[in-house]
Amino acid sequence: MSADSAEARFGAAPRSAGGVIHDIGYRRYEGERLSRGRIVLALCWHSLRSAFGIGRGIKAKIVPVLTFAIMCLPAAVDAVIVARTGTRQVSYDTYVPILRILVMTVFLAAQAPELVSRDLRSHVLPLYFARPISRLDYPLAKLTAFVLACLAMIEIPLLILYLGTIAQAHGGSAIWAQTRALIPGLLVGLMWSVLLASIAIAIASLTGRRAYATGGIAIFFLLTFTLARILVHVATQSAVVGPGPGPAGPKGGGPGGPPGGGSVPAHLIAPAVPAAAHLYALISPFTVLDGVRQWLGGTNPSGIQPGGIANPGSYGPLFGVMLLVFLGASLAILVSRYRKVGIA
Amino acid sequence: MRITFRATMSRKRALLFAIPAVLLLGISGLLKATQPAATQWPPQFLGTFGFSVVLPLTALIIGTSVLGAEIDDGSVIHLLATPVRRSTVIFSKFAVAVGLTIAFAAVPELLAGLIATGGGKLAVGIFAGAVAAAVIYNAIFVMVSVLTTRAIAVGLLYLVVWEGLLVNLVSGASELSAGQYSLGIANAIAGNPNLNAHLSLTTAVIMGAIVTAVTLLLAVRALSAFSLKGDAA
Amino acid sequence: MTAIELRNVSRWYGNVVAVNDITMTIGPGVTGLLGPNGAGKSTLLHMMAGFLEPSRGELTVGGRPSWRNPEIFRVLGLVPERDSVYSFLTGADFVRATARLHGLPDPDGAARQAIGIVELADAQDRRISTYSKGMRQRIKVAAALVHDPAVLLLDEPFNGMDPRQRLQMMDLLDALAHRGRAILFSSHILEEVERISGTIQVIVGGRLAASGDFRAIRRLMTSRPHVFLVRSSDDRLLGSALIGRPAVNGVELTPRGLQVRAADYGAFTRELAGLTRQQGIRLRELLPADESLESVFAYLIAS
Repeated sequence: MSADSAEARFGAAPRSAGGVIHDIGYRRYEGERLSRGRIVLALCWHSLRSAFGIGRGIKAKIVPVLTFAIMCLPAAVDAVIVARTGTRQVSYDTYVPILRILVMTVFLAAQAPELVSRDLRSHVLPLYFARPISRLDYPLAKLTAFVLACLAMIEIPLLILYLGTIAQAHGGSAIWAQTRALIPGLLVGLMWSVLLASIAIAIASLTGRRAYATGGIAIFFLLTFTLARILVHVATQSAVVGPGPGPAGPKGGGPGGPPGGGSVPAHLIAPAVPAAAHLYALISPFTVLDGVRQWLGGTNPSGIQPGGIANPGSYGPLFGVMLLVFLGASLAILVSRYRKVGIA
Repeated sequence: MRITFRATMSRKRALLFAIPAVLLLGISGLLKATQPAATQWPPQFLGTFGFSVVLPLTALIIGTSVLGAEIDDGSVIHLLATPVRRSTVIFSKFAVAVGLTIAFAAVPELLAGLIATGGGKLAVGIFAGAVAAAVIYNAIFVMVSVLTTRAIAVGLLYLVVWEGLLVNLVSGASELSAGQYSLGIANAIAGNPNLNAHLSLTTAVIMGAIVTAVTLLLAVRALSAFSLKGDAA
Repeated sequence: MTAIELRNVSRWYGNVVAVNDITMTIGPGVTGLLGPNGAGKSTLLHMMAGFLEPSRGELTVGGRPSWRNPEIFRVLGLVPERDSVYSFLTGADFVRATARLHGLPDPDGAARQAIGIVELADAQDRRISTYSKGMRQRIKVAAALVHDPAVLLLDEPFNGMDPRQRLQMMDLLDALAHRGRAILFSSHILEEVERISGTIQVIVGGRLAASGDFRAIRRLMTSRPHVFLVRSSDDRLLGSALIGRPAVNGVELTPRGLQVRAADYGAFTRELAGLTRQQGIRLRELLPADESLESVFAYLIAS
């Protein structure tokens, strides 16, 4: 029964020796095909959108939106303060370091896997690479997208601060002064974005399970930062006589900001910062970033901020090198990860 | 209870992500090794860092994965397609999580504390606080992992924003912070001002117990109403 | 006898209605839940297993609702679709653990028996990660059988199986059903359902399009004529003779043979033999051209 009805279904095929190809009106696509650059651009744009959860459900937007809001909060608050009192609490260079560090860590840990690990998990990489793009295009596009996302997270608050301030400013010179202060801040932000995004994407690309990626990224950033801070503090303390103040920690313990109490604050003593302290600061991307910032001319306006480190002085170049090392390692991981596209 | 056996068996694969926890352990140990160099260094300050960073992170990883990983890849349905009570499921997963967290974070804390101070109230206090933290944090994270698939991200957000920032900035928030509960317990034994604990022992214990109970209850309720996000067929 | 009863069950997600006002009863024996992808079969199965709440209507298994009722699993076994099993466990461990979770008094014995039923005894001590797809399906069935449930639900059990495995599974389901169990499996592959189940429930677009024995269903649709393919020694002559009969709506000469549309299936078949003898035509082949489930299906979808 089956055989004949199968024939009945598929239409008359003359029983000839060869086969017959039926013309069912299939048409080739003869239109324009966009270039490889456009493909990369499209991939980049799509990744950027998913970094903020756009185009997906509500749940995907919670973390990015919340973190973004928190990032902007100090800017908004400070703009108001500047309007009222004329003094600024937050500088363009450093913004609120602790906030930046923590919130960016969350953003990185939560969103980098969205860009990269999801593709790995659903094994769609062969689909991507069956297109006229090179092996490097995919990670490059993803990286660029995430750098842009981090840029948005970091620079937009700065811009809010800027706009809020100049709205109150009088005269062109004040505005110009603000602008001159803003530019280095934007550049610092750029530095942050590039480095942090690279590391995060590199870590995320190592696994297809988002949970592992998130955990890995969180652990990497938080631990290195905490470690660096502890070690730096330890090294600094041992060079200073007297009990040191408990420095602000990223979670719980320790007072934030300038220490209270009667003991002499460590950072006001002539900075006899031992070499060890500088070297320990090389462990964490965040402290490295701060070191490079200061090496390139940045300052600590109100003493060492709770997220930063002392001026590296002659160790400055070392920080620059370390930055490149982090960057290079991340890129190397990415390149080698996507070189072999199997059913990963 | 056999469920715990089952959940423990899942740990075989979970050893993969106990590695971060092991890392934490290793780093704690490493920290201690550098101690001899700094004579002036106050150990309790290290305790708070290890306490406030290592512990919650480990609890996060373990707590969200003990149920979350199964939910994520769908194998939880084999567990749920049995007449086992949902509360039993939650409690046994929770117990495993607490046990693991204690093993991978609280014990290292204790060891670190002992090495740093050579015994004494601080080490014991920190350990007690760490155990409490393991309980409370894991309860929260297990609940979160039932409610959402991106439990780690949400949990991280909670840790950083709530425990990290708000608690320091808003004084009233101490009442609702798991970190503060555990610090309170630690402080009650160790009596060290550098721990920055704002809550008394009774408050900490009571609130901690309440939070634990409420979150676990919510988790049970959520699991009973567990819907499969299945493919359309 | 435990039966699954649905009464006016609907389930929607916001604006999308996945299951639309379905009323049916699943009793002992093998029932096939049939429908294209997206028709709501999985949704229905999940609701029966208590993993989804019906937005409206009543759904009971053995008289008790399955939502929020893990006890239902004492009489119900579920073989889910997703290929997600604890792959680091051995087959035996997995079934044994399931047996323990059911609180069986003799988990090892029950596990052994279940594994024996699915004929995986020689592979039971290997890790599930080393199993082939068919074996994985079977170990899932074993886990679902270990507590000897009265009702067995299988979600797309034949997915990804090769024909031999499919036959094995079909025989297995048949054997299970013969002992009085109610077995419900879903599929969108028609020839599977055709072969083993007597009863089918057809779900199209969330609605119950048809239920019952599929041949009977076919015959119920007398509004559409049956189509037969006849091959004879003289098609044209036969065609002209047939068109004169009231039971015949139309004939068409095709390269394959004579296609006859018969309004009255019974009458046509009765008359055909007499007609051919009268005309002196030799009848070579008579095939119902659309008796298969597929045409039933296609017809239902089209309508």
